[in-house]
Amino acid sequence: MGQFAQFAINGLMSGAIYALIAVGIVSVFKATKVVNFAHGYVIMFGAYFYYTFAVIIPGMEGAPAWLASWNPAWMAEMRADLPMFSPMGAVLDWAANVPRILFGLAGALVCNAILGLIIERTLMRPLMGQSIFAMIMITVGLISILSGTASLIWTADADFVPHIAPNAPVRFDLFGTPIFLFGADLVNMAIALLIFVGIVLMVRYTKSGVAIRATAEDQSTAYSMGISVPKVFSRAWVLACTTGAIAGAILATRNGISPSLGLFGFSVLAIVLMGGLDSYIGVFIAAMAVGVMEAMTQWQLGGDWAEIVPYVAVLVVLLVRPHGLFGQAEVERI
Amino acid sequence: MTINRRTFLATSAAATAAIGTPMILRAQPSEYILGVSLPLTGPFATAGQLVAPVFSLAQKMFNDEGGIAGTPIRFVTEDSGYIPNNTLANYQRALANHGTDMIGYFADSTGAMKLIAPELRGANARIMGSTSFASELANPAENPYQYLSGPTYQSQFDILLQNIKDAGGSKVAFIFSNTEFGRDPIEHGKATAERLGLEVVLEESTKAQGADIPTHVTKLAQSGAEFCILQGYVTGVWPQLIGGARQFGLPVQFKGTFWGMEKFIADRITNEAGPILDGYQGVMPYRYFYDREGAPRYETYAALSKEMFAGTPMENYMSTWALQTMCGLELAVKAFRDTAEAGNELTADNVAETLSAISDWDSGGFFGGPVTMENNAIGTGRVYSYSAETKLFTPTSDWLSV
Repeated sequence: MGQFAQFAINGLMSGAIYALIAVGIVSVFKATKVVNFAHGYVIMFGAYFYYTFAVIIPGMEGAPAWLASWNPAWMAEMRADLPMFSPMGAVLDWAANVPRILFGLAGALVCNAILGLIIERTLMRPLMGQSIFAMIMITVGLISILSGTASLIWTADADFVPHIAPNAPVRFDLFGTPIFLFGADLVNMAIALLIFVGIVLMVRYTKSGVAIRATAEDQSTAYSMGISVPKVFSRAWVLACTTGAIAGAILATRNGISPSLGLFGFSVLAIVLMGGLDSYIGVFIAAMAVGVMEAMTQWQLGGDWAEIVPYVAVLVVLLVRPHGLFGQAEVERI
Repeated sequence: MTINRRTFLATSAAATAAIGTPMILRAQPSEYILGVSLPLTGPFATAGQLVAPVFSLAQKMFNDEGGIAGTPIRFVTEDSGYIPNNTLANYQRALANHGTDMIGYFADSTGAMKLIAPELRGANARIMGSTSFASELANPAENPYQYLSGPTYQSQFDILLQNIKDAGGSKVAFIFSNTEFGRDPIEHGKATAERLGLEVVLEESTKAQGADIPTHVTKLAQSGAEFCILQGYVTGVWPQLIGGARQFGLPVQFKGTFWGMEKFIADRITNEAGPILDGYQGVMPYRYFYDREGAPRYETYAALSKEMFAGTPMENYMSTWALQTMCGLELAVKAFRDTAEAGNELTADNVAETLSAISDWDSGGFFGGPVTMENNAIGTGRVYSYSAETKLFTPTSDWLSV
C-alpha cells in the first residue's frame, strides 16, 4: 500500500506538470477554437527565456555579483558546517539562487507574454473570420519558426538551470513504507495547481473569463454583445504563453535546457483530447490520470509499457466519448 | 553503310572508347567527397553541433597532408534531425549528386546505420562510419562496409561489469533509455553479469528525454543495487538520475558508457547543481583531449583548433564526441590511403578489405597503444572517474581489451 502511495504521488507530480502545459492549449482553444500544435515550442521559448535571465545574464561580465549568487556571510557560515546533501544544505543552496530565479521567472513571463502578443497580432489576427483550419495550419508552421529561431538564438547547446524551489529530499513513513519525495517537485506541483485553480476561477467569475466563455460559445454573438473578440484572442494567447513560461521553467529544471523540450507539447495534446479540448476540469483530471497511469505502469510493467498504456487509455476514452471526458459536443444546427 | 566484320569491330572499339573514357576520367576525380549526416536539430542537436566543426578541421588537416594520394577530400554535411529516414535520404541524395566521387559516408545513429545497411550493395556501397557503437554493426559478415571507431556498447558493458566485479560488487542495476541505443547492450550485459556472478537487481527502461526521475530513483532505491550502469543518454536524464539518487542518500555508485562521459556536460552540471557527479565513473575508449602527453595526433588537433576555433569552447578542448568522429575519420582516411598506395581503386570492397585488416595501428594518442580492428571495431577502453573539484575525468583502470 505504501509503495502504491509512493508511485501514485510520483504520478500526481508528473500529472500536475502535464496539466500546467495543457492549460495553455485549452485557453487558446476555448477562446479561438484553434488547436495550438506549437504550444510545446512556446513552452520551450519560456524555458530558454528562464535560462537567459537566470543563467546567461547573471553570468555576464558587469552583472552584479548578488544576482549570480547571493551569499551573505551568515549564510556562508551556516552552509560551511552542513554535509553535502543535507536538507538544510539544499535550502541554503536554493536561497543563494533566489535573486536569479526571480529574475529568470520575471524575464520568462514578460518575454513569453510579448511572444504571445506577437504571434496573435501577426499570425492569428489577420486570419480572423477565415477558416479555423488555416489558423491551425499556421500553428503547425509556427513549430518550424520557433524551433529554428531558438536554435539561431541559443544554439542547441545543452545546459542546466536552477530549481525554482529548494530540492530538499522529503522522507516520511506511510503504511509502514518509507516514502521519498523531492521538495522541488512538491513545490512545482503546488505552483501548477495554484495556477490551474486561478485560471478556472478567473474563467468562472471575472469579466475577462465571461468574455472568454461567451467568445467560445459564439464569436459573432459575443461581438454583437459588445465583447471585443480580438482582445479576448490576445488575452488567451498571453495567458497560454505566460503559463507556458512557468511550465517551461519547471521542465527545464527537471530535464535541463535543450531543443527537445519542444516535443513535450505533442504528448500533452493527447491528454488535452482525453479531457476535452474546451474543459479545464476535464483536462486537469486527464493530466492527473495519465501521470498516475504512467507511474503505475512504470512500477509494475517497466518503461517500455509506460509510454503505451496511458495513451491506449486516451484512445479508449476517445472511442467512448469523442469529445473527451468533459468536452462539449458541438451541435450544428441546419 | 554495309556492316561487315571489320566495320563492326571498328564501331565497337570506338563506342567502347567513347563510353569508357569518362569511366577512366571518373576514376581520377578532382576531389573525393565524404558525405556526412549529423543531428544538427532535434533531440541530440547538442552533440551534432559540437561534432560538426571537426569536419572542417579534418578536411584542412587531411588535405594539408596531401589528401588521398594527392587528391583533396571535401566533406558535405547535411542535417538529419536524428531521424534515420532523413539520414537515408541524405545518403541517397549524396550518391545521386556525387556518384563515384563520393568514397565514404559518416552517419549519425544506430538506427540510420541499420536502415542504410541493406542499401550498401554493388555500385551503391560506400565505406561508412558513424557516431554509433552499436554491437550489431560490428559484424563484417553482415555489414562489410560499416565500422566502429571503438568498442561496441556490449564491450563497454563487459569492461564496466568486470570493473564492478573487481571492486567487490555483487548487485547491479541497469537503467537505460527506451531507444535502440539504450537497449543495445542489455541482454548481453545480463549474460556477462551472470557469468561474472553479479546479480542484476533492476532493469529499468526510461524515456530518452524528460524521464520521470522520482519514479526511477524510487525503483533504484528499492532494488538495493550497489552499482548502477546508465546507458543510452547524451545530455539529459543521466545527470538528473544521479542527482536524485544523491539527494535520496542512496549509496549506489553510478557508471556510464561513452555518451555519458562528456566533460562539457559534467562541468555544467557541477556548476549548476554542485558536486553531485563527484566519483561518477564510466568507460571511455579514448584518452581525454587534455591528456596530450605522447599523443602527437592530439597535439596536431590542438594546434589547428587554436587557429580555427579561436573564441569558441573548441579552442582549447575537443569533446569526447568530436574525438570519436575524428578517430572514425582517421581510420577511414588510413584505409583510403593504404588502398590507393597499394595501387587499388577506392571501391567500397577494396577499402573495406583494407580497413578490416588494420592491425597494430599507432593512432597517435587516441588509445593506450597500437590497436587492431577486430570485427570492424576496436575493443579497447578504460574506466575514468570524474572529480567535481578538478573538473577532470582521470583514469582509474589500465587499458582493457575485450
